[in-house]
Amino acid sequence: MRPVGIRGVGLQCALGADAETCVSSLLTGGKPAIQVTLEDLTEPATLTYRRIEDGAVLFDPQRFERLLPEVVRAALAEAGLTATECRDLPVFLGSSCFSIALSEAGYAMALAQDPAAAISMPSAGYGYLADLVRSAAGSEAASFTYNTACTASANALLGAVRAMHIGRYRHALVVGAELANRTTMSGFSGLQLLADRVRPFDAARSGIVLGEGISAVLLSAEPREGELLLRGGASNCDTFSVTTANPDGASVAAALRQALAVAGIEAKDVCGIRAHGTATPSGDTAEALGLRRVFDAVPALSVLKPYLGHTLGACGVNELVLYAGALRRGVLPAAVEPFTPDPELGVGPLARTATAPAGHYLLNHFGFGGNNTVLILERP
Amino acid sequence: MIRIAAVSHYLHALQDGETLPSLDEALQPLCREHFRRVDRFIQLALLGTGRCVAGKTLASDCGLYLGSCFGPMSNNIATQEQLVRDRLTPKPFNFINTLGNSAGYYVAKNLGLRGQNLFISRQGASFQAVLAAAVTDLEAGVLSEALVGVVEEVTLPVTAYRRRQGLAADAPVAEGSHWLLLQSSADAGMRLERQGVKSLNNAAAGLLPETSGPSHDSVAGADITARLMVGKECVLADGDADRGWELFHFRP
Repeated sequence: MRPVGIRGVGLQCALGADAETCVSSLLTGGKPAIQVTLEDLTEPATLTYRRIEDGAVLFDPQRFERLLPEVVRAALAEAGLTATECRDLPVFLGSSCFSIALSEAGYAMALAQDPAAAISMPSAGYGYLADLVRSAAGSEAASFTYNTACTASANALLGAVRAMHIGRYRHALVVGAELANRTTMSGFSGLQLLADRVRPFDAARSGIVLGEGISAVLLSAEPREGELLLRGGASNCDTFSVTTANPDGASVAAALRQALAVAGIEAKDVCGIRAHGTATPSGDTAEALGLRRVFDAVPALSVLKPYLGHTLGACGVNELVLYAGALRRGVLPAAVEPFTPDPELGVGPLARTATAPAGHYLLNHFGFGGNNTVLILERP
Repeated sequence: MIRIAAVSHYLHALQDGETLPSLDEALQPLCREHFRRVDRFIQLALLGTGRCVAGKTLASDCGLYLGSCFGPMSNNIATQEQLVRDRLTPKPFNFINTLGNSAGYYVAKNLGLRGQNLFISRQGASFQAVLAAAVTDLEAGVLSEALVGVVEEVTLPVTAYRRRQGLAADAPVAEGSHWLLLQSSADAGMRLERQGVKSLNNAAAGLLPETSGPSHDSVAGADITARLMVGKECVLADGDADRGWELFHFRP
């Protein structure tokens, strides 16, 4: 299968307003999180959060219309596509929130004006973000919007890469998009999965910190010398539970092995792993035991959610841009928090940044609904 | 060659004032267990996939490709009303089921699937989008079998349903669940071909499904699956095939 090159990237997240700034911040310790209180609830909930510092009100439903085009244009500008190439550019997008903030705001306003006439979910469907992306890119081509919880944009990447592997497209634009909304914050609060600090694979790990981020990668089926390459990957389904993979790691290991086979490499060829690392007790257990089933010695683990928060369906592209940016600089990112090993897991993140050699790197993603998705990146 | 190994078709048109028919009886013979906390969207997905697969042994790598324009609307409505109107934290299973691929999870659990499990939308052309994704994966050889379909549910009252979708006050509405079981195969039989040429678009115009309205993915799914069940040739198109849009030709 032909390799796919990463030609352009864009990113805005809690670490900064462009990809290079975000990578620099990642490699120098990141920024502090904020506290958000959901004051509209009868019993207000307060949570730790990592937001994009764009100066806007956090729940402003128009933020996607400002931020998404900026990120898309940054990726296209770096790639240098012509207007004709942009017109024919297919869009693959993954998100968890879609237009939910618009619906929340619209419904609240309608209730305030005329409760009897107000209808919930006034902005239904999944097309809003893809339409914004296509408009920003000048694309008249097809779009695919992936809605598979925390694996959504990773599956979007996989879909784009496979289509390019078989010669369907010369270029593809893959986008991850997640912004603050009350449904996600209150929903995770209700599930009691939130924590004040993110400590992946740590003995004291206690849950996730949510975050927001928007990212775009422009992929080319004709890679240039020196470009990082996406070698494909694998995705499977684990029906152990709707909220977590089997903690025995079996389905995670199956996805890892399948991804290695797709790329035609062996476990010993892997130089580093960008772990999913949500810091939930069961999620990290499944990932760690899955890794240990496949690797005799688990390669260098990097965990990025302590820096930008868990950006849910967007984390696949957001964290690819961050990890790839670090690899371009020849660096493997390290943990931001002090680490206490969990003997049951037997793995932990890098304590200090390390040199990233040429070779293959894995990116793990796991989500509600039983999705396990593993991508393989090559640094030539 | 991609072979269409099985087809299922469920479409229920709703009249104003009518309540949604219970699906419990239809689901009983199709489900391995009684699933609690499933919403109507999940029930429709279980019904359509169960009927499509009935009696067949699926490949171990069979993938699931679920498309929808609007997704689990009754659940999403309940979640938003709890949060915004009632100012309450959403109930856990309501919140989890807003995340789209809960339906895929229950289908996988019911059918014993362990392969790729995707929920993909392209608004009113979601049937085309899931077909394109599944055919790509079959052509790429990453799986040998794919269960591909669309689900759309109607929420009550129908007047509010029409308002959400921008439909006329008297527009007909229907819920549906339409599925194809696709296999990579050299065997003869009903087959699916991806056509990448614009000329076929015009030549086959008479065979295109009537796909107007915001739920047209469900209508397109109904049209295609109903035609295939009686062995008729049909074409599914969306946009310009020269620019990366999809055009599929189904042949008996």
